Amino acid sequence: MRIVAVDPDACVACRNCEYACAFRQTGDFDRTRSHIRVNYHPAERACVPLTCMHCAEAWCMEVCPAGAISRNAETGAVEIDKDHCAGCKMCLLACPFGNIGFDSTHGVSRKCDLCGGDPRCVGSCTSGALEYVEENDAFAFKRDALDAKLRQALRLDRGRR
Amino acid sequence: MSTERDVQQTLCRMCDDRCGIDVHLEDGRMVDIVGNKAHVWNKGRLCVKARAAIDMAYHPDRLLAPLKRTADGWQEIPLAQALDEIAARLTQIKERDGARSVSVWKGEAIGFGQQEDIARRFIHAFGSPNYLSNDSMCYAARYFGYKLVDGAWPVADLENARVIVMWGANPPHAHPNMTQYITAARRKGAKLVVVDPRLSAIARRADVHAQPHPGTDGALAWGLMRELIRTGGYDREFVERHTVGFPELSAYAATFTPEMVEQETGVPAATVIELAALMAESAPRVSMYVGNGLEHHENGVNNIRAVVSLDALVGAVDREGGNRFVQPAPLRTLTLYDDVPLEHLGPLGADRFPVLYDLRQECHTMTAMGAILEGDPYPLRAMVLTGANPLLTNPNTERVRQAFESLDLLVVRELFMTETASLAHYVLPAASFLERSELHTHAKHQAVTLTRRVCDFPDVQDEYQFWHDLAHRLDMGAYFPWDDETALNRWLLEPSGLTLEELEAHPEGVTYSPLAPPPLERGPFMTSSGKVEFASRYLKDLGYDELPVYKSPEYRGTPDDEYPFVLMTGARKLLYLHSRFRNIPRFRTAVPGPEVEMHPDDARALGVAEGDTVTVTSRIGNVTIPVHVVSPEEIRPGELQITHGWSEANVNLLTHDDRFDPISGFPLMKSVEVRVTKVGAGE
Ligand code: SF4
Repeated sequence: MRIVAVDPDACVACRNCEYACAFRQTGDFDRTRSHIRVNYHPAERACVPLTCMHCAEAWCMEVCPAGAISRNAETGAVEIDKDHCAGCKMCLLACPFGNIGFDSTHGVSRKCDLCGGDPRCVGSCTSGALEYVEENDAFAFKRDALDAKLRQALRLDRGRR
Repeated sequence: MSTERDVQQTLCRMCDDRCGIDVHLEDGRMVDIVGNKAHVWNKGRLCVKARAAIDMAYHPDRLLAPLKRTADGWQEIPLAQALDEIAARLTQIKERDGARSVSVWKGEAIGFGQQEDIARRFIHAFGSPNYLSNDSMCYAARYFGYKLVDGAWPVADLENARVIVMWGANPPHAHPNMTQYITAARRKGAKLVVVDPRLSAIARRADVHAQPHPGTDGALAWGLMRELIRTGGYDREFVERHTVGFPELSAYAATFTPEMVEQETGVPAATVIELAALMAESAPRVSMYVGNGLEHHENGVNNIRAVVSLDALVGAVDREGGNRFVQPAPLRTLTLYDDVPLEHLGPLGADRFPVLYDLRQECHTMTAMGAILEGDPYPLRAMVLTGANPLLTNPNTERVRQAFESLDLLVVRELFMTETASLAHYVLPAASFLERSELHTHAKHQAVTLTRRVCDFPDVQDEYQFWHDLAHRLDMGAYFPWDDETALNRWLLEPSGLTLEELEAHPEGVTYSPLAPPPLERGPFMTSSGKVEFASRYLKDLGYDELPVYKSPEYRGTPDDEYPFVLMTGARKLLYLHSRFRNIPRFRTAVPGPEVEMHPDDARALGVAEGDTVTVTSRIGNVTIPVHVVSPEEIRPGELQITHGWSEANVNLLTHDDRFDPISGFPLMKSVEVRVTKVGAGE
C-alpha cells in the first residue's frame, strides 16, 4: 500500500496541507480540523508534520469496541466509520502518535482516510515534504540525502588532497 | 439524469507562478481544482489558493454588469453604451489636453506577457506614452540589477546548485512551487542560505540564516566580495576574461571588512567569513535568487547589483547549478515601440528616472499622482485601469485617493468593487483568468502553455475583447485587427512553428527549445561592453555612480527619537496576494486580519501583548492595528513588519511616495521610520 511519507527536513510549515485537509473535512480553513498537523518551533527552526501511518497492526482498530474502524481494501487506509463510532475515544488513547482527533460537534473520532487514494495534503505540499509513496520504500529520500552528503564529503576530501 | 463530468487542463493564475491545473466540471460548473501532475513547473502540486479560484469566479459579490457613477449612485448600463461613453470622453480629453493626458494602468491581477502587451499597445496606439503598472514598484528594480551587470536576467538553476542563496525572497509564500526545487537541491546535498531580516518560512530550512537590518543587504554582498577577493576564492579566469571594472570593484570592496559588515548589517563577522568560504568551495554551483525584499529601499538597485556581481565573482553566470540565460519564446510581440516612438512626449517619470523608461518603457506611478494633482510636469486627466487596486498597494494612500478622486475620467475593470473601483466613473466587469485564453511562457523550462476558457459570464469581456472594442470606437481598430483572442493567439504563435492545436493537446507545456548545456565559450554578454559589468558606463553617463556603491539606509544614521522603529512592509503571506482574496471566507478563518509583527522585547517595553491594538505612525500617516508578538528569533528588536493589502489597516497610509531609489524610482516601503503607541495609552 501507499502511505503519506513526511520529511521534517523539507517542511517549511507553510500549512498548505492543514488547510487542504481541513477544507476537505469541513469546507473551511480551521486548521484544528485537519487530520495532518504541523508543529513549528521557531527556536529550533523545527517543522514537524504528523499524520496517520496506517499501521499494519493498527491499535486503534484493535481497541475499538464498536468495530467502527476497519481497513479500506482498496487503499489500505485505516478508516473510521462515523455511523458506527460510539465516541468513546479509546482510539485516541490507543494511537501512540496522537494522530486521531475528536469531532466534538458530531461526537465521533476522526482521522486520515488518504482521501480515497489521492491525499489532498500531498497534492498541496509545495515544498515536496509530503509524498504519497509505496510503504516498502517510503523513506528512500532519507537514504538519497545521506548518499548525496557522503558524495559531497568525498568530493571535498579529494579536493583537499 | 446523470451529471456530465469534464476535466479542463489550464493554468492557475491566482499568483504569477502559473501552475498547471486540472479543473473539474459538473454540468459545466467548476467543482474542483487539482494539480496537473505532468505540468513542467508544479508537477501536480498546488498551493491552496488554486482551489479558491472557483470561489473567486462564482463569488456572490462578482461584478457582472457595467456600472456608471451618477448623482444617485451606481447605475447599471448596457456594455455597448458604457464603451461608447468612455470612448467619447477619452476623445474629448485627448482633444482638450492632448493624448498624453490619458493613461492606462495595468494591474498585477491581469498578469504580464501577452496581457501587459495588449494594454501597452492600446495606449501607444492612442498616442500616449503613459503606460503605468505595478512594475514601477515591483520586479523592475531586480530586472535592472541583472540587466546592468549581466545583460539579462537569468533564471536560478536551483536544483543543480551546491549552495542556494535566497536574498529577500520567501518562496513558500511568494512562489510556493519554487520551494520544491529548493527541496530537490537540498536532497542532493545543497546548502541553503537565506538572507532576510525575518525568519521567513524558507529560513526555517536554512543552513545559515543571515539576518541583516532592512536595506543593508548591499553591505553584506560587498563584505562577501571582499572576502572572496582577499582569500583568492573568486574565479580569476572568469573575472579576467569576461568582466569590466574589477580593479575598481576590488578597491571599493576593501573597506567592507567582516567587522564593518557586522556593524552595518547585524550579520556576525564570522557568518560573513563562513558564507564566503561556502560560496568559494561550491563555485560555480552557487545559485542565488533575489526577491522583492531588496527592491523597496533607497539603495535598492545598487544592493541588487552588488548581489549580482557576486554571481560573476564565483563564475556562476550561465553555469549549471548557478544561473542560466534562457531563450525567449519565439512569439510575435504586440508592443509598438519600434514603430511609433513616443519618447518625445515625455513619459511620466522618464526625466527623473531615465533607466525606468529606457530599459522597461515603464512610467512612474508616483510621478503620475503629481501629474494628476498638480499638473506636474503636465496634466494627467484620464485613466483606464484594469486589475489593480492602487488605493491599497501604492505608497501614501491618502495622496493616491486624492489623485484618483480628481481625475476627469477613471475607468476601472475589476471582478469586485474594490477601494479603487469605488472612485471610478465607470466600473466594467472583468474576466478572471478562468474566462480567457492566452499564451504563457515558462522561461525556466523554455516552454509555452495555452490557457483555456473554462467558464463564461454574459457581458463580461476578456481583456483582449475590451481593448479591441474600445480601440475600434477610437479609430484605432487597425491596431486590433484580430476578431477575438483565439485569432490573436494564433497570430502571436505563428513564428514559433507551433500551433494552437498542439498547445491544446499539451496543457503540461510544450518546450519551444530544449535548454542547452551552458556554452563552453562564454559571452558576449548582452551589456554595452559585451562583458559582465561590475562598473557601468551606462549609469555613469546618466550621472550615477558606476559601481554599485553602498549607501546606508537613512534610518541607520542618527537615531530619531520621534520614529525609533523601522518598519518593513509587504512580506508575502500564503493566502493573500497583494490586495486580493480578502473576500474568500475560508481565508479569513485562517488569517482573520492584519497585524504588526513585533519582537517580544519591544512588546514588553510598550506594555502590549498579543492581540492588543497599537497605532503606528510614520512621517506620512498612521494606522491602527493589532499586535502579533512573534518569537524572538523571527524578527529583530526595533524592527516591525506589516503586510500590505488590508483595508482595515492599510499599511500604505505610512509608506513614502517622496523617497525613491534614484535609479529605479522605487518607493521606500521596506525601511520606514515609525513610532508605535499603545491605543488607550494616549497619543
Ligand atoms: S503557487 Fe498557488 S496561487 Fe500560484 S499559481 Fe501555483 S497554485 Fe496558483
